[in-house]
Amino acid sequence: MLGPGKYTSADIRTILAEKGLDGDGRRWHHRLENIHPDDVEMALSEPAGSYNFEKLLTLISPAGRKFLEEMAQLAHQLTVQRFGRTIRLYAPLYLSNDCTNSCRYCGFNKENKFERTRLTIDQAVEEANIIASEGFRDILLVSSEDRQFVSVDYLAELARKLRGKFSSISIEVYQLSSAEYAKLFESGIEGVTLYQETYNREAYRYYHPSGPKSDFDNRLDSPDHIAAAGMREVGLGVLLGLTDWRIETLALAEHAHYLIKRYWQSHVSFSFPRLRPAYEIECSQFRHLLSDKDLVQMITALRLCFADAGLVLSTRERAELRDHLVKLGITKLSAGSKTNPGGYSGHSGAIEQFEIDDNRSPAHVAAMIKQQGFEPVWKDWDIAFIR
Amino acid sequence: MEVLKINGVEKQFPAGIPQTLTELLEQLNINQATVVAEIDDKIIERQNFSQTRVSPGQSIELVRFVGGG
Amino acid sequence: MDNLIIAGREFNSRLLIGTGKFASCELMAEAIEKSGTEIVTVALRRVDIENEDDDMLSAIDRTKYLLLPNTSGARSADEAIRLGKLARAATGIKWLKLEVTPDPYYLLPDPVETLKAAEILVKDDFVVLPYINADPILAKKLEDVGTATVMPLASPIGSNQGLKTRASLEIIIEQANIPVVVDAGLGLPSHAADAMEIGADAVLVNTAIATATEPAEMATAFKLAVEAGRMAYETGLPSVSKRASASSPLTGFLREQ
Repeated sequence: MLGPGKYTSADIRTILAEKGLDGDGRRWHHRLENIHPDDVEMALSEPAGSYNFEKLLTLISPAGRKFLEEMAQLAHQLTVQRFGRTIRLYAPLYLSNDCTNSCRYCGFNKENKFERTRLTIDQAVEEANIIASEGFRDILLVSSEDRQFVSVDYLAELARKLRGKFSSISIEVYQLSSAEYAKLFESGIEGVTLYQETYNREAYRYYHPSGPKSDFDNRLDSPDHIAAAGMREVGLGVLLGLTDWRIETLALAEHAHYLIKRYWQSHVSFSFPRLRPAYEIECSQFRHLLSDKDLVQMITALRLCFADAGLVLSTRERAELRDHLVKLGITKLSAGSKTNPGGYSGHSGAIEQFEIDDNRSPAHVAAMIKQQGFEPVWKDWDIAFIR
Repeated sequence: MEVLKINGVEKQFPAGIPQTLTELLEQLNINQATVVAEIDDKIIERQNFSQTRVSPGQSIELVRFVGGG
Repeated sequence: MDNLIIAGREFNSRLLIGTGKFASCELMAEAIEKSGTEIVTVALRRVDIENEDDDMLSAIDRTKYLLLPNTSGARSADEAIRLGKLARAATGIKWLKLEVTPDPYYLLPDPVETLKAAEILVKDDFVVLPYINADPILAKKLEDVGTATVMPLASPIGSNQGLKTRASLEIIIEQANIPVVVDAGLGLPSHAADAMEIGADAVLVNTAIATATEPAEMATAFKLAVEAGRMAYETGLPSVSKRASASSPLTGFLREQ
């Protein structure tokens, strides 16, 4: 747990408010538009991997777009230097799609009418066995806002059953308290991914009209709880396409920087979920969708500001793009993912959270990684050695 | 002969040990305003020097500030 | 330039002065004045009862300078704590520079005893400024137990070698949420400026000034160096340019969008 340290800076809510990053960020539009190529050159000549706000602002600006190749080269070099020529692989295990939230972008939205699926612990273990047989030793347990069924006790029990088989167990579920995260840490879970989705309060209110997830501040405070509980890995992210990606990237970076300074023993990762078509969700209604170039600019800019952060890419993205992104700073990939509960065993016809665009098998993805000159790493750390 | 251990060294007092700490310091020609005193591992507050009795066989530490980095 | 803040107290000067090794109290007093410092360290020693020597404390105007007793000579946590309590009894000051140096050759600080003592002293309401080797993990652990600063060494005491521990100092500065005072081994004014340029909050200098042929002049030089280094840091330093050389293109696959 966090010691009685003398951290005197503000909390994340204040930081974002003072920097104008919890709204539409209009304060920064003018600055972004007026970044000059010379500014980008300067930013690129700063030591790669260290964060400062101005540097990131410059790299993600429209002017930065012309320097994409150089940013990519620097990001690649820095990532290889810090992470070696390796890419970690993981698989998500969806436990439930029965949701009490009504997030407008999600296939699991409670307003969507379809039969919900919840896996019993035994069913989840069966899915996990299939995942393990593909070679995975790193698993991400995912759930909708289904506190009642996928409770803390359920997760703890499942983790205890899986820890013999998996060297790393993380979760991506609804917000929990610090005490609950601590309990899960004891059961063998060592990482938590929790996306803010959007740091724009107004947009957040619109996209999360009801359910526990509709509480912006509680969502924003959760990574603190995760880190304070001793979790080794804290995964951050925004749902790209909800609002202006540049402003979101600035907010995301400030959040990461704050957590890194405050919780020196936790490792921060970024994910890059881009809006995808889902059940009853059509993408044309969203006005801020990112192009591939936008995504590459964001990924490389973040790498150049956070030398040691994990950069995680899921199978939302199409195969060809993923193959190239492997060389641009990404350190972790999922493969062969099923985002519907029971999807691996194929027993249920459950609804997916979003459409997958890289349907290649894990073995195929691993081969691709090798072809790119990297080693696919299935097992990175064995928590069973010490706990 | 009455003896006190001062700063690790036994010191003899042929005329008898002083009654109070203040008297001891005066006898040793030590500026009271800047010295710290410990008797048998207990720190004595400066305002109490004149009331603090000194007994034979006690171990007294007299410490003060000097230059240091 | 903004002020240095330690334990909630503000200081204009970012140069701390150590008072050891001066040839006389007068030279020490003059150097202190010329340095512009507001914090001065002192040590505790047994009074020599056979010889009445100069009482150096009278040479330091305590209304102008904050006296920072150190625990030099302590070789264990217990000894340091004892010295701390003696110092507090002497002056009523609860500020303490924690120094635990069991090795009499290089006077390098003991990390284990330092952390142990720090935790106890903080709980006993001391404002603790621990002297440490440039160990980033130790620095974070001390911050966690509540010390007011960390004081990592640049190079061994008295060696005048400058920032030998530069890479670690940079990490400590990056990671610290409390002020970082680079202490020990700063032999030249340029060393002090260097420390300020990489982002140290303050520096402590003793040997280089005390053993100079003209301590007061050297004190002035260090004062100017610290100010220069800090000013440059606050303004934003230009970086040494390191640009990539492209081998095969990585973004050629991106279509016009």
